[in-house]
Amino acid sequence: MTDIDALTAADPAPVTTSTGVDALHEMRTTRKRHRLGDLEWFDAAYKVYVVALFGGIVLLWLSDLVGDAELSAAQALDVAANGPAVVGMAAVIAFVAGLRSGAQGGPLALEAADVAHVMLAPIPRRTALLRPTVQRLRSAGFAGAAVTASLAQLAGRRLPGTPVAWFFAGGLFGLNLALLWVGAALVAHAIRLPLVVSTVVGLVGVGWQAAAITWGVPGPGNLDGSLGLWGWRQHGIDSLALVFTAAIVVIGVLLVARTSLEALARRASLVAQLRFAVTMQDLRTVILLRRQLSSEHTRRQPWVQLSARGTGPAVWRRGWHSLLRLPAGRVLRMLALTVGAAACQVAVIHGTSPAIFGTLVCTFVLGLEVMEPLSQEVDQPDRTDSFPLERGDLMFRHLAAPAVALVPFTLLGAATAVGIDAAVTDGSRVAGAIPVALLLAVAATFAGASGAAISIVRDAPDPMSGTTQDVYLPPEMAGFTTVLRTVIPLVVSAAGAAMALGTRGVIERGDASPVATAARGALAIVLLTAGVAAWVRSRDRLRRKIRAFMSEGREHTRQQQQQRSNR
Amino acid sequence: MTAPALALRELTKSYGRADGDRPALSPMNLEVPAGQLVALVGHNGSGKTTMMRMVAGLLDPTDGEVDVHGHARSSLEARAELSYLADSPTFYDDLSLREHLEFVARMHGVTEWAADADRLVGRLGLADRFDQLPTTFSRGLRQKAAIAIAFVRPFSLLLVDEPFVGLDQAGKDALLVLFDEAHAGGATLVVATHELSFVHRADRLLALADGEVRYDGAPGDTDVHALVFHT
Repeated sequence: MTDIDALTAADPAPVTTSTGVDALHEMRTTRKRHRLGDLEWFDAAYKVYVVALFGGIVLLWLSDLVGDAELSAAQALDVAANGPAVVGMAAVIAFVAGLRSGAQGGPLALEAADVAHVMLAPIPRRTALLRPTVQRLRSAGFAGAAVTASLAQLAGRRLPGTPVAWFFAGGLFGLNLALLWVGAALVAHAIRLPLVVSTVVGLVGVGWQAAAITWGVPGPGNLDGSLGLWGWRQHGIDSLALVFTAAIVVIGVLLVARTSLEALARRASLVAQLRFAVTMQDLRTVILLRRQLSSEHTRRQPWVQLSARGTGPAVWRRGWHSLLRLPAGRVLRMLALTVGAAACQVAVIHGTSPAIFGTLVCTFVLGLEVMEPLSQEVDQPDRTDSFPLERGDLMFRHLAAPAVALVPFTLLGAATAVGIDAAVTDGSRVAGAIPVALLLAVAATFAGASGAAISIVRDAPDPMSGTTQDVYLPPEMAGFTTVLRTVIPLVVSAAGAAMALGTRGVIERGDASPVATAARGALAIVLLTAGVAAWVRSRDRLRRKIRAFMSEGREHTRQQQQQRSNR
Repeated sequence: MTAPALALRELTKSYGRADGDRPALSPMNLEVPAGQLVALVGHNGSGKTTMMRMVAGLLDPTDGEVDVHGHARSSLEARAELSYLADSPTFYDDLSLREHLEFVARMHGVTEWAADADRLVGRLGLADRFDQLPTTFSRGLRQKAAIAIAFVRPFSLLLVDEPFVGLDQAGKDALLVLFDEAHAGGATLVVATHELSFVHRADRLLALADGEVRYDGAPGDTDVHALVFHT
């Protein structure tokens, strides 16, 4: 009998899981040892200490820079009355996002090899998945707590309560949101919740919470929202929100064995790419992969069929062919980003300066979404270079269709901002708010799109790349230039969002026309957008010139050195 | 009565989002008795890999059921019986070939794995790469490593998807011997391949086209080339 005979039907595998479970634990321990083998624990602990210390100092320093005024007693009462509903919307959105994530594949991602070797082995699925599940809960919880704690201590500077109390309350609130999201995703995936049901539940939940904000009816997220205000005051009943979250998480963990291997296998490869893209600070690829993780596909039939005999410019028509195939979910997301940006702009106008970061994120992502035709072109470099057209010219022409497509979103953003401002000010200044909102919306959306265009174009393959790439920069500059490449698109996008700060200053001081200030800001952003478009068009030419100049300089230096050595 | 090694009942897979989309696998009914060597052929996109991945539990069927030796697919018992050699092997990037073999063998309850692993890698020509990382291997060596991993554990049903791709002649010969030994040992083998020369080694030929079974019978009774490329 051969060795293979011994392993096949003559000796079928007994279903005894203890050896397999032991092997799994040992393998994980071995791999951990491999990963951490060279790690100096004292060194690592010191680094964590230094990062935490300096991170905390920077956070406090930046928070002090904000300098927003404390709310008046009347405003604070307003926050006490409406805050739980408004903040609770975040909990509702987290829950709905969890349901949709679960319906689209769940929150877990294993290595492809784990799917092939561990999940197909005869050991209980729950045993195999428990550790990745706990890791997912832990990482999401930490990230949620850290972000909201940082934001909450800012609230503590305007509202009653100490910043420290707000910091910890915010951390608890963020932890609750993150666990709610992961727990809902686990449960939705385990029960194979159809995507359409998750969407309907989401619409009902968000609509209900919106009604709670508008009309003061009890909303599904009010207890969670009230928990978010624990830095100021604590209501025992709010703990029920934590109980609900804990229950969802426990149910999700108990059902984790029902996780679909198909979803795990699909997510395994995408998540590996996603981690790499995050490492490379490639925001556009991160968003692209997020779409793939959500199984988001373009529409087979466009919303509107362009005439096949149309005679418009080829790139313009190609842009619209792309935009008219955006799926409904993506259009809804773009609408939500627009509404979110508008809400943040109103918050800035009403004194919450950090809300410009919300505007920045919303408009930048909106820009990335609307720049789909340009992204597709960048992703097909071989085809791009086969066209009888300078690459810069081609990319420049790709900006036209997205720019026009942004117009309705700009109008929606302005209308939303006017609506929210009217709700906050009891409609006392609607007429004056319309032009200001419109101009600020133009500034924010087009700056966001400009930043997105830079982010996309800068990731395009460099036709001059190769061994000589970036040799004109010393190696010490590599890290700095990488950071710069990531930061510049965000800074350009932030320029539009920041225009609201200037307008707010004029409104508060009353020493100039807010419309004129907003108009000057919008004009500056239009000029900035034109500058970005010009950069897109001439980027390759500029780079060629810089390289030629640097090569010339190096050649000159080499000749001088040769002459000196000859002497 | 002994349960068949593999039983598919109305097994269906549809990736489509529109009603008019053709399913990747139309409702399929199939029984493979224990000990049979089945060659699975079909043009690209015919549904071979979809079927295999559903049997292995890596794809969720749109409809239908799969039993492996009478156990539902993905159950602990079915996973113990079934070894799946995928068309694109995956490895941990921080485990050597030896560590992979140890891990997979022990996951399947094999404690005395070392001697079998030694012999397997020797026969596949991987002895001098035993302690290297398979993620750094060439396409052919990766395939050999995947074969070793598929065979180091016990199984009674072996599903193999395009096993000859990337293999040199020595690798192909070694794999054929492993197939023969497993078959002689009583295992059931289902081998999806485009190597039509392999078909005549099989007890049974199954030809798929556009997600449907177009032929199910003895390999000698038909013109395999015509069946695969002209259906």
